Amino acid sequence: MFPFREYAAVLDFFSPEARELVRSSPPLSSLPQEVLDRAVGRLLWRSGSEMVVGFSQEEVRKEVLSFFLMCQALASVSYPYSREVRLAGGKTEEVVRYRLYHLFGRGYEFPCLEVMRRYLRVEELGELGGRLPREDLFRIRNQSLRKAGILLPPESVPPQHQPRYSLPWTDLAPLLRVGRVQLTELYLVGGRAVVTPYQLWDFFSGLMGLKCEEYVASLYERFSERGEPPELLVKVGERISSLLPPPEVELGTRFPRGRLREEFFPPCVKRALAGVSSGGRNYAITVLLTSFLSHARLPPPGRAVTKIRDLPEGFSVVKEEIIPLIFEAAQRCRPPLFVDQPQEKANVYYHLGFGMTTDPRPEDSGRSKWYRPPNCQKISSSAPFLCTPDEWCREIKNPLTYYYKRLRLEGRRDGVPKGDAGGEKEVLPGGVEQA
Amino acid sequence: MPDFIQQTLSLREFGFDPDGTGPSQRYRQFFTMEQLAFYLRENFPFSAYVSVALYEKPSRREGWIKSELAFDVDAKDLPVKPCGCGEGQVCERCLEEARRVVMLLSDVLSSDLGLRELRFSYSGRGFHLRVLDESVSKLEQNERAQVVSYVTGGVVPTDLTFVLGYSKVFREFCARTLERLPEERLREVFPKLAKRIQEKKAEVVEALRRGRREEIRGLVGKEERLLEFLAKLNSTWVDGKVTVDVKRILRLPSTLHSGVSMKCVYIRDIENFSLDQAVPRFALEGRG
Repeated sequence: MFPFREYAAVLDFFSPEARELVRSSPPLSSLPQEVLDRAVGRLLWRSGSEMVVGFSQEEVRKEVLSFFLMCQALASVSYPYSREVRLAGGKTEEVVRYRLYHLFGRGYEFPCLEVMRRYLRVEELGELGGRLPREDLFRIRNQSLRKAGILLPPESVPPQHQPRYSLPWTDLAPLLRVGRVQLTELYLVGGRAVVTPYQLWDFFSGLMGLKCEEYVASLYERFSERGEPPELLVKVGERISSLLPPPEVELGTRFPRGRLREEFFPPCVKRALAGVSSGGRNYAITVLLTSFLSHARLPPPGRAVTKIRDLPEGFSVVKEEIIPLIFEAAQRCRPPLFVDQPQEKANVYYHLGFGMTTDPRPEDSGRSKWYRPPNCQKISSSAPFLCTPDEWCREIKNPLTYYYKRLRLEGRRDGVPKGDAGGEKEVLPGGVEQA
Repeated sequence: MPDFIQQTLSLREFGFDPDGTGPSQRYRQFFTMEQLAFYLRENFPFSAYVSVALYEKPSRREGWIKSELAFDVDAKDLPVKPCGCGEGQVCERCLEEARRVVMLLSDVLSSDLGLRELRFSYSGRGFHLRVLDESVSKLEQNERAQVVSYVTGGVVPTDLTFVLGYSKVFREFCARTLERLPEERLREVFPKLAKRIQEKKAEVVEALRRGRREEIRGLVGKEERLLEFLAKLNSTWVDGKVTVDVKRILRLPSTLHSGVSMKCVYIRDIENFSLDQAVPRFALEGRG
């Protein structure tokens, strides 16, 4: 056992122990400066000593609070699956992996396994190991060593690279889904993956990294539901962003900036793009499409951006790419929206933050609020005709999260086996087999 | 009709082909077998289909609960045919080949992936394999795509020499694919090497079975490209689009495939399945 029960929270920030700690802590506004600084600095941690948390209740509390503060701060200035959020997920993964290594080495293998078993049904290899070919066990060991960058053959094999556990491969579904684990790279026997402690740490820390990203996405949706996030969070978020290294790839070309991928738009946006009938046109075009397209094409770069002109090439992107799409959709409405409601053109610019105008200039940006896309709940109550959920809609609450999530999951997929016809259309659900 | 469909009848979406152009009538729900039978008698559709998914509201395809993990091995689309059949053609040997592929898949699914409750059906022009195991019923597209790659040997493994696991699956599928690959197909990809590969085929197949990359390189050179080519072909033994699609509808066992006048039948014993089981009574009577 760990010296005290709450220590499990430094491995699993989403555990009941962590939730309890957060519940019994002071509100955000009165958190000590130390916690704020830790939340800002944790994405820059490099050394093991920064990542390890001592066996003290107070240290554990600070660690957990700073983690949640970091997530909330990022959600208030960024967007789901943004570079900042992915960095946070990656760093969380690294931190948890290091802690597991540290704790295993100090004799805390069993309490660590207890924490991991909340997600992964890990068992000692035991009898199954005896039934496996010995040469396969050596190969699993060698793969683990290679992955850790240890040259073969080592003089002595560290214990974390000996195959010691097995777990059902289906427990790794979240990691398979995002491609962090490849099924063909696992050694599977009877439905269980045979792994070394080193691999197990990878799996568990990978899950924690994913959960961190998903948590930030859920916060983003919550904030967009309530309006503006608290000022303190925005300040902390901006501090975090300002410390992060510049992106390695040119800003204009990295995901999810760049060309809009219509195939990943949610059903409501696709409907709005196709044009709608009288009665729903204003909502579909001015409220939904305008906010969605502008945010999908110009996601905030990790600081609290409230004006389009603050984004690189923001104004020209709006004029040359976003407005034409919106106006074409308006023209497809029945009757065309601007024919009987020409003032709606100005309303579109108003929703983009340029004030009521039909001829915006860059300096007008900020005259009105740049609206975020409404949440799904709002769309389904205000414009139910737009809301025809597909299976991706099940897990999201905002059309923008839908887009980012699909971009992330499907945008990276190379395609599906069977190359005869291929193509995205073929992969869409709901097809029919005509053998 | 198999029990697993009858028992979940009201949770499945049904689709029908009213005029031979495809299943344009979808979103149908039946609460009882009698209702379904009545519908079939009244409407005489060309074909009937049922979803691999269970829904809370099948008639609106809403409230997805879970989906069977389905594999479709279509005899007309086999990447390599043991007979002289061209693309889109099917003979009894093609069907036998498809049956053997389905058996291989089921071996991997149960031995490696530990899956139970595998159900087979003859579709009229190939075979369907449905996995009912609860542990995979909630998997989404990406995970299902990874399962296809695994069970067909669709990715070159980093280590070819493991006795068990994916490496074994890959070796077996590659050996199988290469054994059946005619020289013309090889020539399309390896214009200079095809003749040599063909001449040394038996040795290459043997080296593949033993996982000896160096030996393959020694025999034909460019082993990496050959393995990648075989992996790509392997992945087309099954139609991956069917597996990843959690809302797919498949031909309903116990109905007629009107295009080929064979029954789509539920198979209790795939090892001893004979095509005679799928010949409809009217065709037998016609034979006299």
